[in-house]
Amino acid sequence: MVRTFALTALAVFLLLGGLWQPHDPDAVDILARHSGMTASHPLGTDHLGRDLLSRILAGGWRTACVLLSVGFIGFTAGTLLGTAAAVLGGWRESVLLRCCEFFITVPTLIIALTAAAIFGLTPLSAGLALGLAGIGPHALFAHALSRRVISQPFILAARALGVPPGRMIARHLLPNTLPLMFSHVGNQAGLAVVAYASLAFIGLGADPSKPDWGSMLFEYRVFIFDHPALMIWPGIAIAGTVAVLNAVFDDPD
Amino acid sequence: MGFVRAGVFSMVGLVALSFASFTLIALMPADPVEIAIRAWNLPATEETVAALRADWGLDRPLVQRYLHWLADFVTGDWGRSFRTGEPVFAEFRARLPVSLVLGLSGLLLAIALAVPLGFLAAARPGGFADRGSRALSVFVQAVPGFWLGLILLWVIGVQFRWIRPFANDAAAFVLPILLIALHSVAVFCRVYRRDMAETARRPYFRTALAKGLSHRQALWRHAHRSAFYALLSAVRSEAGWVIGSTATMEILFNLPGLSQFLVQSIAVRDQMVLQAYVMVIALWLLVMNALVHLALRLLDPRLA
Repeated sequence: MVRTFALTALAVFLLLGGLWQPHDPDAVDILARHSGMTASHPLGTDHLGRDLLSRILAGGWRTACVLLSVGFIGFTAGTLLGTAAAVLGGWRESVLLRCCEFFITVPTLIIALTAAAIFGLTPLSAGLALGLAGIGPHALFAHALSRRVISQPFILAARALGVPPGRMIARHLLPNTLPLMFSHVGNQAGLAVVAYASLAFIGLGADPSKPDWGSMLFEYRVFIFDHPALMIWPGIAIAGTVAVLNAVFDDPD
Repeated sequence: MGFVRAGVFSMVGLVALSFASFTLIALMPADPVEIAIRAWNLPATEETVAALRADWGLDRPLVQRYLHWLADFVTGDWGRSFRTGEPVFAEFRARLPVSLVLGLSGLLLAIALAVPLGFLAAARPGGFADRGSRALSVFVQAVPGFWLGLILLWVIGVQFRWIRPFANDAAAFVLPILLIALHSVAVFCRVYRRDMAETARRPYFRTALAKGLSHRQALWRHAHRSAFYALLSAVRSEAGWVIGSTATMEILFNLPGLSQFLVQSIAVRDQMVLQAYVMVIALWLLVMNALVHLALRLLDPRLA
């Protein structure tokens, strides 16, 4: 119950930014710079008078895009490859698994760094790179799950009854693996948020005028002496999002 | 035998990776010649473009360029930066130590701290060290290191005025190492503790207790080696994470490391630098993998 509520709240917070912000996140208002917390600017404004809350909401929408594409790619491709490896067996299984293990050794952030270096950093390219990097672990996980299900007696019974392979996968295998796969992907989603924020912080090919939580932290770090609140809020947004994701899709250590 | 096999596999993997990244980087949408002409204010005539292309070897087919690059790379000629015109190898040699020191000392510090912390956590499950290390691992997963670094700079630099934020002094080197180590400590500590808890359920552990060893003595003599083995295996995956976080640390603390150079090179699509960076990262991972493998063999004679 609490989990559903937390997840819904997070989704509303992230998706809201795509539809509505109290102010235009890029509107410069030089007279209202560093206004502090006021009624019209609940979190204050930055050095150009841009509304901080609007920028955080807009950044949340961009983060949500990354999350959705990472989840979609990792979930579909990982499940597909892992299940295929488990069902096919034989040399095809070991080739698929070897490939996944090879990709696992290259760290996610490095893949994303290289991809951002090559294609520039947008929520879509980062989501694509992080999602592709996530396929390896997801596929290995899906494979282990599917193997365990396949070894159970009811699969043998279904096979003895003459259930065709496609139906076997759709009716008997996937219903048993998909829920666990889904929570595994959710579990990895927190990593994607941190990785995207890191990339934006480094400033790799990101459009500096677009509000991302990471690039905001980079931009506002110079105001650490006079206006520390500017760099506190985006950080809270990142840490809060990741904490909620990790808590909802809890991994029993 | 195992070593030769692993060596051959890594070399093949390295060559495959280098070709893949070379192709990918060469197919980048932006043309480095155009960027260079704009950056250096050259006349954008046919001759200049052709001359630059010929000079950088961009007019030849991809495979030929790759083979040429590979031969040069192996002999230590990593090409010239499109941006500065300087040899890439010299630039990397000057900057690599900074990143290496950050990454390696972070890892070593993490191992040194994780063993006692994990041991205390395992010795008293549910005790202070156990709950503390669990909280730490939840914390470092949610809070990115660079933000924590900013907060630290604000607290000890601005509030207490113990250090000067963004100054190029010793603090700018010690803080990033501590921050890098913090994440790894949490990971290593949990791995170490989990393995110790598993060993403590084994029959031979009960035998050790029956012989009259105290719980702590038995843990140290009979569970430490296997737990340390598990910890070292975790170093392999953590090595990648560490080199990734040196990137944010170098930007935050303004250290002249590899990643800082990379960021400057990306904007102008500096192919030679990007390619060299990919290779250096791959080599770092390979070397760390080999080192961990060696250490594991020393710890577990059954592997040798």
